[in-house]
Amino acid sequence: MKFGKRLKQQIQETLPGWRDKFLSYKELKKLVRSISSAPTLLNGSFEYGRAEEEFVYLLNNEIEKFNAFFVEQEEDFVIRNKELQQRIQRVIDKWGPNGNHPSETDYKEEMAKIRKDIVDFHGEMVLLVNYSNVNYTGLAKILKKYDKRTGGLLRLPFIQKVLQQPFFTTDLISKLVKQCESTIDAVFPVEDEEKTREAREAIIVAGEGIFRNTVAALQSMQEIRRGSSTYGHFSLPPLNLPDSELIQSVQLNSPIPIV
Amino acid sequence: MEARPALSFQRPGAKQLSSMGMSGALSSSLPVLPTPLEETYPKLLDSQQVSMERELVTRPLNHASQLSSNSSVVGHMFSSSSGFSTDLHYSSLSPHEKHSRQSPFISQSSTNAASLPVTHSSGSLQSTASHYAKENSASWQTDSLSSFLDFPVNTPIENSQVESSSCNAALASEEFTKWADQLIADDDALASNWNELLGDTSVTDLEPKMVFPVSKSSPNFQAHQSQVPLQLPATSGEIHAVANPTSLANSAPAKPRMRWTPELHEAFVEAVNLLGGSERATPKGVLKLMKVEGLTIYHVKSHLQKYRTARYRPESSEGSSEKKLTPIEEMSLDLKTGIEITEALRMQMEVQKRLHEQLEIQRNLQLRIEEQGRYLQKMFEKQCKSGVDKLKTSATTLENPSTPSLDTVQESPAKSELDASQVDHGKTGTDPVNANTALEESSQELGGKHKVSEANDPENSEPDACESSSQPSKRPRTDE
Repeated sequence: MKFGKRLKQQIQETLPGWRDKFLSYKELKKLVRSISSAPTLLNGSFEYGRAEEEFVYLLNNEIEKFNAFFVEQEEDFVIRNKELQQRIQRVIDKWGPNGNHPSETDYKEEMAKIRKDIVDFHGEMVLLVNYSNVNYTGLAKILKKYDKRTGGLLRLPFIQKVLQQPFFTTDLISKLVKQCESTIDAVFPVEDEEKTREAREAIIVAGEGIFRNTVAALQSMQEIRRGSSTYGHFSLPPLNLPDSELIQSVQLNSPIPIV
Repeated sequence: MEARPALSFQRPGAKQLSSMGMSGALSSSLPVLPTPLEETYPKLLDSQQVSMERELVTRPLNHASQLSSNSSVVGHMFSSSSGFSTDLHYSSLSPHEKHSRQSPFISQSSTNAASLPVTHSSGSLQSTASHYAKENSASWQTDSLSSFLDFPVNTPIENSQVESSSCNAALASEEFTKWADQLIADDDALASNWNELLGDTSVTDLEPKMVFPVSKSSPNFQAHQSQVPLQLPATSGEIHAVANPTSLANSAPAKPRMRWTPELHEAFVEAVNLLGGSERATPKGVLKLMKVEGLTIYHVKSHLQKYRTARYRPESSEGSSEKKLTPIEEMSLDLKTGIEITEALRMQMEVQKRLHEQLEIQRNLQLRIEEQGRYLQKMFEKQCKSGVDKLKTSATTLENPSTPSLDTVQESPAKSELDASQVDHGKTGTDPVNANTALEESSQELGGKHKVSEANDPENSEPDACESSSQPSKRPRTDE
């Protein structure tokens, strides 16, 4: 149930439009529990076959849901990525030091907006990768439960198939994320040590921002990957986060905005 | 690797239905067809599949009488969109139904199917269902509804938060055309399969009720379907259509899923600019200019729409129409605030980067784990096959084919080997000990499904690898 709770939390913390796009882990778990592992009729394997059919069918539906959502988001990101780059270029060309109408104030103002937007954009993409991962994990878990419960052999071949699904092939998004990171490095002013330290004291995240989502996602991931009693060779090792103080120091409380 | 999950040969049409988020009664109401199974799964590794296949060959004969009513069920199912709740109703019913029937499959499936429309009418899907009903021939709807009223309906209504009714509403308008196309191709596959199966006139009962003209040819798509291309790095704006390799691979028209890459998008933008900008460009024009094979006008149309939105409302598109409050609201800045804001953004970036890093690592781990599992399974397959061959020649008392044991052996050796090779979680030592006891347990429980104990006793004289790994797939949980 730990994963189920974590998943629920993630769903709550995630962007509103994404909430119904996650794995219906609880329902699937209920189904698995209700699937009788002891066939009661003579045609026992028939029983089993039907239950497995259903289960596979539902899983496929879920996968389809993921794929549809993922690919659509991906498309959006591809478009927005291009738009952002063009926007940056426009600002530089217009108000930049070598631009048509060099204007420091305008430039700074626009760049500030861009910075915010691009960081959020980066965050959203990362959240999509997280979405993919969370759902994969959920699928892997539910398959494991199924096999355990029914003694079936569904997991291994099925998961192979899942690995190739669009929603799990996140290479493009990761590439965009990296591109974004280098763009951000270019767009952000050089870091000033002292001022950085001051500004970082007690920054509290408010509202439903992307930041909040990513912090929640990271924390969640940490939790999920804490050692468990059903540790097996198909389990992931515990999460080892360097600088985990960073995460701890960001408290997900509501009211106080950054001053 | 072409190993399929057991019973993955399911209904050809259902895959497409599911790909459009359609409800799944089609699966239950139609006989599971052995013919597609033979076509697309030439190598049946899984013994369960083999035994299921044998059973199914006999099953279709039972269905002849039910087909006509089932087809109307099918029709109705097509006309309804599915929230996951639909499937849930379906699924939660069937276990209940299991224990009380004579001709189990038929009545259960009919009942299952019957429950769905009732659910629809009571659930939030009603609006979309009726929307579809308008577009489809009305005769379907009434036919199927009347046939449903005869069935006892048991509808636990689970309005879980999963019900994606909003998603369905969106589906309704945009996806209908795609759905219709798929439906047509679905029909084709279904009809042809049934023809082969029954070879009688009951099929003709289906066709009129299906209504859609059967025009598309499915064989193309089947070939397409069997490909499993990952998203390839784009070179020059090719379409990377990833055919959806679900287990229902036989379902004919896998409308390959369109994945837009930056390169493809570049080509798109160029074409749009040539045509005078996003407002003036038409989908048809863009499609022609782009000259990308496999790109359809639907793809271009929806992409153009997104593109327009992104350009002319950059703020809302950045937020992807989500309400998004960030810590940084204030935009008019003096230097100090500016720095603080920048720092906050930097922190945000760090967290995000960290998360992304970890996600990548996790993903790679997951891939490697599964790869290893697969590899080991293959190895054991080979090893045990040689053992089983010897077994076959000597064993005369075995009732079941020895392949069931092979399956359990396949799965579990992979597990136990990985166990040994990876970080010790304290289970490795106990595995062989538990193997036999767990073996007995599970074999009693699983009964006729895996006659493991019988099969394994003679097998104990076989290679050690097979023996020690003859664990049931029910792993003993020793750490708890």
